[in-house]
Amino acid sequence: MTQVIVVTSGKGGVGKTTTSASFATGLALRGFKTIVIDFDVGLRNLDLIMGCERRVVYDLINVIQGEANLHQAMIKDKHCENLFVLPASQTRDKDALTEEGVEKILKDLEHMGFDYVVCDSPAGIERGAVMALTFADEALVVTNPEVSSIRDSDRILGILQSKSRRAKEGRESVKEHLIITRYSAKRVEEGEMLSYKDVQELLRIPLLGVIPESESVLQASNAGSPVIHSKGSEAAEAYADVVGRFLGEEHPMRFVSYEKPGLLKRIFGGA
Amino acid sequence: MVKAIEFKAGSLTAMTAVLREVDNVRLADALQVMLGGMGEFFGGEPTIIDLSQVKHIPDRVDWPGMQSLLRRYGLQPVALRGAPAHIHDAARKAGLAVLADQVSSINAKALSIETAPETAPDTAEPAQASLPLEPPTTNTMVVERTIRSGQQIYARGADLVLIGGVSHGAEVIADGSIHCYGPLRGRALAGASGNAGTRILTTSFGPELISIAGVYRTFEQGIPQAIAGKAAHALLRSTGGKQTLTLEPLQLD
Repeated sequence: MTQVIVVTSGKGGVGKTTTSASFATGLALRGFKTIVIDFDVGLRNLDLIMGCERRVVYDLINVIQGEANLHQAMIKDKHCENLFVLPASQTRDKDALTEEGVEKILKDLEHMGFDYVVCDSPAGIERGAVMALTFADEALVVTNPEVSSIRDSDRILGILQSKSRRAKEGRESVKEHLIITRYSAKRVEEGEMLSYKDVQELLRIPLLGVIPESESVLQASNAGSPVIHSKGSEAAEAYADVVGRFLGEEHPMRFVSYEKPGLLKRIFGGA
Repeated sequence: MVKAIEFKAGSLTAMTAVLREVDNVRLADALQVMLGGMGEFFGGEPTIIDLSQVKHIPDRVDWPGMQSLLRRYGLQPVALRGAPAHIHDAARKAGLAVLADQVSSINAKALSIETAPETAPDTAEPAQASLPLEPPTTNTMVVERTIRSGQQIYARGADLVLIGGVSHGAEVIADGSIHCYGPLRGRALAGASGNAGTRILTTSFGPELISIAGVYRTFEQGIPQAIAGKAAHALLRSTGGKQTLTLEPLQLD
């Protein structure tokens, strides 16, 4: 059975594509055959984050409109054996994204024996975002610890409840997971940021992980390599924990508490 | 000077009796089979007689007979719908208002030619005047999921029981009371059709707006400390002939 996972948020710029790339990579590193699909037609980014932008020939819309077959459009990741990327179209109109077309692609991927399909949703609540979540079995809701991001995530949770196939067919509802990104334990400590517990209390869905604000995320994006590959960075480890928890393992929450640097550390600088 | 009579517009919820026969003997048999002779089954609900599905309507219908038959089961006929023009006069004489019908296209066309008088007939029965104007709020609508931002729930003619809570930016409306087991953070409007006896009850009080029978309150200055995030209820209390929206903590344990 292929599991379809949508990475969504409502608000833009919170880390959906970063999360999609690292989460899909993490699943592939665990040995699962995984594909990550960019649903952001017109503003494609995923190929950049995955570092395969120079290899894009055909895209999602070409496949939906029958101008290319799925095999031609799938790009094999350069690091992982069993990871593939299906890029979005940069030039087409997002109306070209049809429900029948997406359904057919997901069926074909199931026949190809994929374990996980990760759908990177565009921001907003319009067609692209709805298409990305329509066929989802599980949803990763990416939220920043900030009120407008939380409000938008709440909105998208409502749309999941009403527009997903599972909801429409009255099946078991889409399993929801919360991922809080760009988290700064220091700023929470100083009362400048909502704590992860506040965020979870407001959204009331299970917390899958907290990704700390980290310079390595930006570096990884610029280098075209998902941050989960950045060995030793906090964000990479937090994403590895997220993948582990998703697969049913237990990991304590890391990078959520802040300790004031001691005197020696302040004098000689942090490691 | 106090006026002896006043006119107010109002809407009411009514039962529709869709007939497929106008023969009172056969209707009586059918009701007997359906309800087993349980008198007053419907408890005096205002009823609209819908004739749009009757295949053949005779020139004369025994209206007094049909009215007393329906009343025997607690249905109070007040109006007629979907009837051909030739029986309108007789129905009005029997005290039934003739309604224009949008549901049945064929009859609606027939009716649109004739401008049916909008005023109630002067032979209206006194029973009509005492009909309750508020819809009965004995039903309950239960929602188990969280009502999220941008979603709206309306419990028409019913109490609303929310098990998953209400997020900021969501709106819950009920003609009856609202019971929220979980955080109430959005907008909550009880007694939406004017029932001032309704309440809003929650285990965690924190709404953006509450309203009971149109009397509303926002919380620009924040929720009062005594009830913020705690079990509380909102109700209308009349003090000196004035209705005020009152918030009170609830003791749950």
